[in-house]
Amino acid sequence: MSLYEEVKVHGYAEFCKAVSDRKGKDIFAYFSGNVIKMTTSEPTVRGEISHLPEGSVFIYCQVGQRDYWKNPNNDFKKTLKLSGVPTLLRYGTPQKLVEEECFKANLVRMMFTED
Amino acid sequence: MGPLIQNNMAAFFKSRHRWKRTSCFTILTRNLTGKYDYDLVVIGGGSGGLACSKEAAQLGQKVAVLDYVEPSAKGTKWGLGGTCVNVGCIPKKLMHQAALLGTAVKDARKYGWKIKDPVSHDWETMAEAVQNHVRSLNWGHRVQLKDKKVKYLNLKGSLLDEHTVRGMTKSGKESFLTAKNIVIATGGRPKYPTDIPGAMEHGITSDDIFWLKEAPGKTLVVGASYVALECAGFLTGIGQDTKVMVRSIALRGFDQQMAGLVTDHMQAYGTRFAWGCVPQRVDKLPSGALQVTWADTRTGKEETDSFDSVLWAVGRAPEAKALGLDKVGVEVNRETGKIVVGADESTSVSNIYAFGDIGEGRPELTPTAVKAGRLLARRLAGQSTQLMDYDNVATTVFTPLEYSCVGLSEEEAVGRHGQDAIEVYHAFYKPLEFTVAERDASQCYIKVVCERGGEQRILGLHYTGPNAGEVMQGFSLALRCGATLSHLKETVGIHPTCAEELTKVSITKRSGLDATVTGC
Repeated sequence: MSLYEEVKVHGYAEFCKAVSDRKGKDIFAYFSGNVIKMTTSEPTVRGEISHLPEGSVFIYCQVGQRDYWKNPNNDFKKTLKLSGVPTLLRYGTPQKLVEEECFKANLVRMMFTED
Repeated sequence: MGPLIQNNMAAFFKSRHRWKRTSCFTILTRNLTGKYDYDLVVIGGGSGGLACSKEAAQLGQKVAVLDYVEPSAKGTKWGLGGTCVNVGCIPKKLMHQAALLGTAVKDARKYGWKIKDPVSHDWETMAEAVQNHVRSLNWGHRVQLKDKKVKYLNLKGSLLDEHTVRGMTKSGKESFLTAKNIVIATGGRPKYPTDIPGAMEHGITSDDIFWLKEAPGKTLVVGASYVALECAGFLTGIGQDTKVMVRSIALRGFDQQMAGLVTDHMQAYGTRFAWGCVPQRVDKLPSGALQVTWADTRTGKEETDSFDSVLWAVGRAPEAKALGLDKVGVEVNRETGKIVVGADESTSVSNIYAFGDIGEGRPELTPTAVKAGRLLARRLAGQSTQLMDYDNVATTVFTPLEYSCVGLSEEEAVGRHGQDAIEVYHAFYKPLEFTVAERDASQCYIKVVCERGGEQRILGLHYTGPNAGEVMQGFSLALRCGATLSHLKETVGIHPTCAEELTKVSITKRSGLDATVTGC
């Protein structure tokens, strides 16, 4: 079992603080909206969580209410360039899985275990 | 059930006691596919290799692809995707766009935009954006392979025998894969000149230019291939003092009249050209600058100048030396080093195939490699017999004045049919956008090469001007459909565009009349 830190945050400001508090660490972030479909990919991501590299950080971030998310100018879309939820990404790298890709265990495992 | 399995089952039943059908079938299929680790192993994860492996996997084959990047002499390396994604088409087009935008910003003032002088370019901003996009493509390919169940191995592949591939890690650790079929799609790498002291030590190639952390500064580009001209073009466009050194002709293999228009435009726009010059040595000065000495074959004199960077664009060599081809008996062209291939991409060894840049006589283009790879996968899976058609493939050179073409050059048409049997229609035109911008359009030109007799079938189309690739794509479909001159002339143009000028050609070269297009 690998040792990783799990952090739960709500909203953009909390997300940014969680990241800046952990400079230099390998950070994986899972962005979820408050919509029913989100819960179906969570088990997939949770199922692979044991494959996270040792010493890494897993941030589980709730982006906010539906209306906030729908606004194209929200910080997640504008600054983090998220195109949809759920999104699983490796912070500071181009590694990203979006929507249906998050439902695929082999893709999630690839992000957690391969360079 | 395939015919092979049915035949074996029949033989099995005849010679043995009757077993339950299902258990029999399982054992037989395990034996058939269990003989090799994979149905297909592809060596090379570039445009061709990836397309072939993904298509094969989608057709139910068990596939593995090996991709490995030997760092350049300067130490540059990159991820999955091959030349096009990492050190070719993609970064090239983005940097070309950066240069075009620089020109557009200057034109913008004439269109009323209030833009402060001077407008400057920051290499770091451009390079980071381009490199990030390339990295996202590397990741995208990783996701696609995983999703399509293609096994990806970051190992240097070579042949042990006709069914065994050796994979080697950076540290030399070996592993082996057996395969029913093997496909080689290892592509090529830029050549360094072998007879010029200091060339490799102090110079860079296209493998390095897109990954530089700082602007290359005052640059000498040696060569006049499309790689040389495209690089020199965007470097000039973003404000680097650039000189191109040409031994003899530019864009060898392309229509030479068109090549002249391309280089004339570059010279008019600030790229310096040293025609008929051959570099002799490169030395590093105490300041860190590079001193290049060259011979001017026109004056017989020796010249020298210093540069911040020297970019060698003198041709590409196939990635075939370390593959172990001779041991396995795969025939290679002595002169070029490329693999000799048949119309179906087969090599001299029956279950080994090769395509893309590594194939002798093949175009060095991404779309042909991709299409050939997919068709090969379909044939290997027994789903098709269709061969790749390498004729009438349209291409574009992304120099500051872009040049696109499809079909034969004028020289090729004359060579094949004779001067008297061909007719060349041509026109010098001016893009509307150039008028307000007060831009010189002297080299904006169109040429339609067709048969002189009969239906006047179109043999080749040539265009220099903005958006050359976008203009030519649709016309390449026309050539594929056997378009004639009357088809072209009956086509109503879209107005106002540059592309419409192709439908309006009427002056022949033979007439000697002025080919400059007048207004509407």
